[in-house]
Amino acid sequence: MSIPKALQDRKFRSTSTGRLWEKLLVGLLAGCAVVTILITVGIIAMLVTQSWGFFASDAVTLEGFFWGKEWTALQSKDLDKARFGIGPLVSGTLRVTVIAMMIALPLGLVTAIYLSEFASSRIRNFLKPTLEVIAGIPTVVLGYFAILVISPSLQFLSGGELFDTFNATSAGIAVGILCLPMVCSLSEDAMRAVPRELREGAYGLGCTPFECSVKVVVPAALSGIISAFLLAFSRAVGETMVVALAAGTLPTFSADPTQQAQTMTGFIVEMIKSENEYGTVQYFSLYGVAITLFVITFAMTLAGQLIRRRFKESYA
Amino acid sequence: MSAKSSPEPAGAVPPSLGKLLPKPSAETTATIQGHEPYIRIADFNAWYGDFQALTSLTLDIPRYEVTSFIGPSGCGKSTLLKWINRMNDVVPGARAQGRLTMGDLDILDTDTDVVGLRRKIGIVFQKPNPFPKSIFDNVAFGPRLHMKVSKSDLADLVQWSLEKAAVWDEVKDRLHAPALGLSGGQQQRLCIARAIAVGPEVLLMDEPCSALDPASTLAIEDLIFELREQYTIVIVTHNMQQASRCSDKTAFFYEGRLIESGTTTSLFTKPEKKQTEDYVRGKFG
Amino acid sequence: MSMPAALTDQDEVFQAENAAKRKRLSRVFYGVCVSIAMLSIVVLVVLLLSISWQGKTRLSSDLLRNAHSELEIEKAGMSPAIIGSLCICGVCAFAALPLGVGTAIFLEEFQPTSKPLRWLHGFVQLNIANLAGVPSIVYGLLGLSVFVFMFNVFGRIQVNESSGLELTGVTHFYQLLSLESGQTVLVPRTDLQQKTIKLESPTAGFSPSGAPIQIGIWEPGTPKPTDVNVRRRTVRKGALGGAYSKHAWYYFRLPFGQSFLAAGLTLALVILPIIIISSQEALRSVSPSLREASLGLGATRWQTARNVTLPAAMPGIMTGSILAMGRAIGEAAPILVVLGAAVAKNSGPQHLMDSVVTMPVLIFNWAGRQQHEFKELAAAAIIILLIVLLVLNSIAIFIRQKMQQPG
Repeated sequence: MSIPKALQDRKFRSTSTGRLWEKLLVGLLAGCAVVTILITVGIIAMLVTQSWGFFASDAVTLEGFFWGKEWTALQSKDLDKARFGIGPLVSGTLRVTVIAMMIALPLGLVTAIYLSEFASSRIRNFLKPTLEVIAGIPTVVLGYFAILVISPSLQFLSGGELFDTFNATSAGIAVGILCLPMVCSLSEDAMRAVPRELREGAYGLGCTPFECSVKVVVPAALSGIISAFLLAFSRAVGETMVVALAAGTLPTFSADPTQQAQTMTGFIVEMIKSENEYGTVQYFSLYGVAITLFVITFAMTLAGQLIRRRFKESYA
Repeated sequence: MSAKSSPEPAGAVPPSLGKLLPKPSAETTATIQGHEPYIRIADFNAWYGDFQALTSLTLDIPRYEVTSFIGPSGCGKSTLLKWINRMNDVVPGARAQGRLTMGDLDILDTDTDVVGLRRKIGIVFQKPNPFPKSIFDNVAFGPRLHMKVSKSDLADLVQWSLEKAAVWDEVKDRLHAPALGLSGGQQQRLCIARAIAVGPEVLLMDEPCSALDPASTLAIEDLIFELREQYTIVIVTHNMQQASRCSDKTAFFYEGRLIESGTTTSLFTKPEKKQTEDYVRGKFG
Repeated sequence: MSMPAALTDQDEVFQAENAAKRKRLSRVFYGVCVSIAMLSIVVLVVLLLSISWQGKTRLSSDLLRNAHSELEIEKAGMSPAIIGSLCICGVCAFAALPLGVGTAIFLEEFQPTSKPLRWLHGFVQLNIANLAGVPSIVYGLLGLSVFVFMFNVFGRIQVNESSGLELTGVTHFYQLLSLESGQTVLVPRTDLQQKTIKLESPTAGFSPSGAPIQIGIWEPGTPKPTDVNVRRRTVRKGALGGAYSKHAWYYFRLPFGQSFLAAGLTLALVILPIIIISSQEALRSVSPSLREASLGLGATRWQTARNVTLPAAMPGIMTGSILAMGRAIGEAAPILVVLGAAVAKNSGPQHLMDSVVTMPVLIFNWAGRQQHEFKELAAAAIIILLIVLLVLNSIAIFIRQKMQQPG
């Protein structure tokens, strides 16, 4: 067969227009990436400028904000009587988060060990989708579950009046359920990244499966697991709908998990709902809370991501 | 990357695109004692990050012949191959210095249009890597990028390329079936068809048979032998029988340096250097 | 050197006991693992059963057809919320998908080779991972500032008042009562500062359906016209008209106000990092040899991405995006911040700047009430929400399997 016409003509497209087009497209795609940076910048700028209206007010002092033990931004219409000490909100968030972590960390870690070390593929194929479904449940549904099932069960189990209808424990348990799939899948990833040779070495020395996973695999994957914990912690601190439904609306400064506990996110929701006049110091206090929330979660996520990166490199 | 090349030495004939096609017949090839050098490499150094992969290398690759690069793993032969059509551009930390020219085209020049260069210098990889498309679309992929062709011309071109790559008879009834359904050897020949469909002048082959069974390897070697009438072929191989079977010139690399180069017969029968002799006799590598 | 004592003095009884103890411990641990792993299944089952039990009496066609009602609780439904959620999800997909997939392509297919650019690349990557960890309520506040108020550049939007910069799709009128009871006429409004009009003389105007008419004046004391058609376009002398605006579906203004456009864009911010990360994973899983093959044929990086990598990664990208959409449908906090907690709305959005109710916000509202009926309604609405999510996930699985078939 003779050489086809297309190759005889040798009419190749000019590459210079192609190059220009390529440059344009790359610029467009780069623009998309720049948007992600703009979002971060936007969040920080928004929080700083808006919370300025709060921190600049005479009624607020930085010292009082951080160390105050009373928060009455919603309850006091009168600015003179309003107290802006973030202590109660932070204590509420801490109570809910600590309870959530007490649920999510051990359960998530053990489930992850089971999935990565012992589970047969049949059980994996069943358990992983279950965890994915739990991870996909809207948080407002878990909040409803907390007031429908968890809180009454707690009251029933404790035999009566110990728990308030809205309390930190039921919200904490629901947030824990929410964080469990996240802890589990991140820790499992970390443990699966541990080279098989390490496990073979351990079994070769006569380790039992328990000793192999607890003494060899978990320590080897430790930084990955710690990063999973940090990310889950940050998620729990920022969780909104569960606490808005189940943790109550009263800011209390205590360590008692049976009481109501308004959290930082819960306060923001209540303030938005309350139709407080835009521009008042009480209204802007929500931005003061938001910037605190952002700093806490951002720091934890950043630490978690950095540890995760380091861990990935060590087994790359 | 490199300094602009000085004017070409008188020996190199600038390849006008049209000249490629009236191919030299078998008789003329036989009378000419070797062809003029086409790709010229001089004082060439290449690095990956801080690691120097190639050191002061000088080599001429003649036109319409098969040149094979042999040597143990990590000797830099694949690196050189991938610099010839600048595939290393996308490797982080890869850089090169020295002269690398094809005809009067300076390959390393940052102004050189990589896209046009890669059309002229096709490459076939170690593992067959057809796109997850139909056989026809695989071969038509390059022409659709580079040319404006009518449907019938494109069909002609695809058929011609597949015939050239000696795989037409096996696939002509299922041109629109997925390419991934072919056997490994057929896939590799399809990849060769895909590479020649854009009308390249040079074909680079990076261990094209190492992932194939012996029968397919033989088919591809025959094909390489046929193709050299129209293309300048550079082939990287681990397999010394392969180099001796299908190449005219051979270059032996060791630890980033070119140890010896010459006609395949002389390099295999009476190597000048000790290292070459050890390698071709199978003492290491 | 002789054997160390630890190896020669072996107490066999102790060794056997020790081994047995260790094995027992391991078995116990295994049992603990299994039971804890199964716990998550139990939790899921309890959750689904309890909510179904609570909501089963309210699962009726009323729920799907009607709107929220304070008075007729037994007939209240969630139809505006379903439509609203889907509309918001549409806006969200429209904004987040191109942006997210574009970013992923840029980060995966155009990886820089020079050192400072690689550092920048890593920075962008870290930034995206961090964005994924920002609480959604903070995105809500960002949306409130950026989309709802646009930093107050265009002035604040007041209740019942057209403000800001109205670009298109709106006509302003005064609305007056005609002599026929229940019927109104419209008079074009030119001066937006003037909020009411007092009609003294006949003027050109419109019927409520938009047909041009001549508005007549009836002076009190004179006989009223009797013809219905005349009465319809006649008003009492000195009648007062209030401001009234008609919005086309493409009504567009700056800032967006508490509109579903603003809510959808805010949700797009929330799911953007998720889409980017999952698309990146899909692109990364495409074999590098395909990329090499395309580059080796002289394709540019963009051509490689468009013709080779993107088609190969499509199933993964689609699956990740649909899962992200599921997240968007279930998200309540940012919408609560952007649109407020109001649920009294009878229909889906009428135009781009209309406010909406979404399913999660409605559920939040109902679940937070004291009346038992509303709690049941909330459970029923949750069932519907979960069904919508289930359908979405099934589509994702279907697409993944369909596109994985060769050809």
